[in-house]
Amino acid sequence: MRVQAAPALGLLLPALVFLPLVALLPGAVHGGGWPLIAAFGMAALQPSFTPALVANAFHGIAITLAIALWSWLLSMAIGLIAAVFSSPTVTTALWGCRWPAHWLRRLLAIPRSLHELLWGLILLQLIGLHPAVAVLAIAIPYGALVARVFSDQLESLDQKPFQALQAAGVAAPAALFSALGPSLLPGLLSYGGYRFECALRSATLLGVFGLGGIGADLRLSLQSLQFNEAWTSLWALALVMFSLEQLIALWRARCVQGRHLLILLGCLLLLLFPAANLLDLQWQVLLNPWRLLPADQLFQLQGWWQPWPQLIGSTVLLTITAALAAFVATPLLLLLICPWPWLQLLLRAFGLFARLMPPPLTALLLLFVLKPGLLPAVIALAFHNAGILGRLFLEGLESQDPRPEQALWAAGVPRRRALLMARFNGLATSYMAYGAYRADVILRETVVVGLVGVGGLGAVLLEALSSFAWAELLPVLVVYALLTLLGEELADRYRRSLLFNHTQLGGGSTPQLELLPRGVPGPA
Amino acid sequence: MPLQAQQSTPAIAAKKILRISAVPDQNPEKLNRLYGLLAEELEQKLGVPVKYVPLIDYTAAVTGFRNGDLDLVWFGGLTGVQARLQTPGAQVLAQRDVDAAFHSIFIGNVNSVAAIKPIRTFNDLQQLKGKRFTFGSESSTSGRLMPQYFLAKGGVKITDFAGGAPGFSGSHDATIALVQSGAYEVGAVNEQVWQTNLRKGNIDRTKVVALWRTPPYPDYHWVAQGNLNKRFGPGFSSKLQKALIQLRPSNPRQQQILELFGARQFVEAPASQYGQIEAIGRNLGKIR
Repeated sequence: MRVQAAPALGLLLPALVFLPLVALLPGAVHGGGWPLIAAFGMAALQPSFTPALVANAFHGIAITLAIALWSWLLSMAIGLIAAVFSSPTVTTALWGCRWPAHWLRRLLAIPRSLHELLWGLILLQLIGLHPAVAVLAIAIPYGALVARVFSDQLESLDQKPFQALQAAGVAAPAALFSALGPSLLPGLLSYGGYRFECALRSATLLGVFGLGGIGADLRLSLQSLQFNEAWTSLWALALVMFSLEQLIALWRARCVQGRHLLILLGCLLLLLFPAANLLDLQWQVLLNPWRLLPADQLFQLQGWWQPWPQLIGSTVLLTITAALAAFVATPLLLLLICPWPWLQLLLRAFGLFARLMPPPLTALLLLFVLKPGLLPAVIALAFHNAGILGRLFLEGLESQDPRPEQALWAAGVPRRRALLMARFNGLATSYMAYGAYRADVILRETVVVGLVGVGGLGAVLLEALSSFAWAELLPVLVVYALLTLLGEELADRYRRSLLFNHTQLGGGSTPQLELLPRGVPGPA
Repeated sequence: MPLQAQQSTPAIAAKKILRISAVPDQNPEKLNRLYGLLAEELEQKLGVPVKYVPLIDYTAAVTGFRNGDLDLVWFGGLTGVQARLQTPGAQVLAQRDVDAAFHSIFIGNVNSVAAIKPIRTFNDLQQLKGKRFTFGSESSTSGRLMPQYFLAKGGVKITDFAGGAPGFSGSHDATIALVQSGAYEVGAVNEQVWQTNLRKGNIDRTKVVALWRTPPYPDYHWVAQGNLNKRFGPGFSSKLQKALIQLRPSNPRQQQILELFGARQFVEAPASQYGQIEAIGRNLGKIR
């Protein structure tokens, strides 16, 4: 048992980010809309139960779930296939060369670099008003992401069984399948389950921008200040998200196995048809000629004249502050409420609300009391992501061995210090590694709060789309993609060095996934 | 289906359904009632199935029209010009009697605008600098484009507002509610929506007041696809235009429709009228 608190302090150091944020707050608060915020809070206790409205909310939820289900399954399929072919082991076995895998890997970075909302808005221009747009918008970047995670996992597996089978004369595809398949399955199921939660959040967000489902109702009722109606949708969404998270937690804890797993998968597949019906998915529209953007307007030199340093600067600033705040929020709060364990329940409820509330809508509420600018954007992004990070952190804490902490209590160490020294310490490295990944996600996500008055790339992108300014669209997309690729690379390096040092320090030589707290998805 | 605020079966594949839509400038419940009634009326008069496709986004209305997913759309001045520029053959069918000379109203929260002197010239708008200001939707003509244009005439840039940027409430109803609540100090709304809300008693006049009425400009209009005669039979476009223009308050359903539109009747509209909007749209970068 190590008793020094060094790693745990690294966990809390990002809290320094609150100093500038708090310093900025007095200048940013106008407070004109406190009564509205109060009304929003009170309305939580009085959601509207008008039958038509309730029916509408459940229809909206059903659409959102259907989009999530289809896009999830599609992304898993795309991801699995692409993962296999972007693994050098596989291409070497099949064709005797590694380069197809390397090239596919690089190629997959492009769809991954754009947020699903951007995919949605672009596909909308190309395909038109069609339900398939939302499904594809999620499936494309998710598929590329899943491919990367799975191929990383494939490569990190022990290759000896496969080599042995091949040496014994088994054909390459069969050898690959039987040697690597079984050891890949647990990670695949665990990560796959987590992706479904992500898909539900993404589908909700796309709705806010009019691509189908409950998000639209939520935005309209919040915009027209019908808070009781908004809470009908929010409670319905909370109910669905909570049950889904519990179900997926069971699945990921491997409580669902063997035959049950097959039954569950069968049910999901059966659900695909009613879901397609509900959405009125007509895949054949994808075969219609796409309405390509006018090339002469798309490629124009003057679109490349933008105040890049300022745009990139504010995007990066937004990302870093939001990521640090989101990262540190839960550990800090846990430490504060540590003497009163019942407060944890409140923290969890708050976290669920943070996860289900799309950031642009949080920003909308914040603008009731804050001036437009960087601050509401930071808070909205940080709030949402703190909900996601917090849940993983809590899950990780629960899976830690409670005995060192109990031993510290017995030795008379105060509760807060004991928590820091025992469980926080045990979790620090993997949580920081996951935080690096999340920062990378937040960078992509800055686009969704682009409209609350931050002059970042996201705002320019959304403005270009609404002005049909194709000449401006392409350069901003390219720069945005380059920036996210760079961010991904940096986050990746940081994570690898963290995990490497951890292993060197004797933290165990288990594969990466196991280093993360239970419930935390692997490198992604 | 996507881009719809409420449920309704999409009709993308059906060639024989007239799909109508509108920019979502007001509360969706009102729009659903209004366009539901209009769809019934047109169906009866034209003898073809008519479907209302609700949208929650101005840009989506333009995109939907450009891509041929919508046949007849009630556009604002700016979105109508955007849609016609991107859709060869599209034609202006009609506008309301009020649309040739439409106005916006600047409204203010009573507590914040007590010190503001009556606005008589464009230069008086300078008093709004430093206020928390909200437009309606980003692509709204009466809620954003023309107010921004008149503000610029008075030497007020949108970066002059508190926080360095204006808000975008999303719709005219939302602007009124936000200014009344005090979340924003000043806002710009469509005059007709403001008047209707005043008449209906939806506005607390002790909290929000009208500050200024803008000069007139052309606004909303019906825009139809150019291929309707080919799809629905010869002469269909003019039958459709007639159906709109001949709505009269003497018929109970038609009266309801006109009332919800805030119009006495629809009239023919020359496309050339919107040249001013196009020029301002280009000037402010909303048309490229």
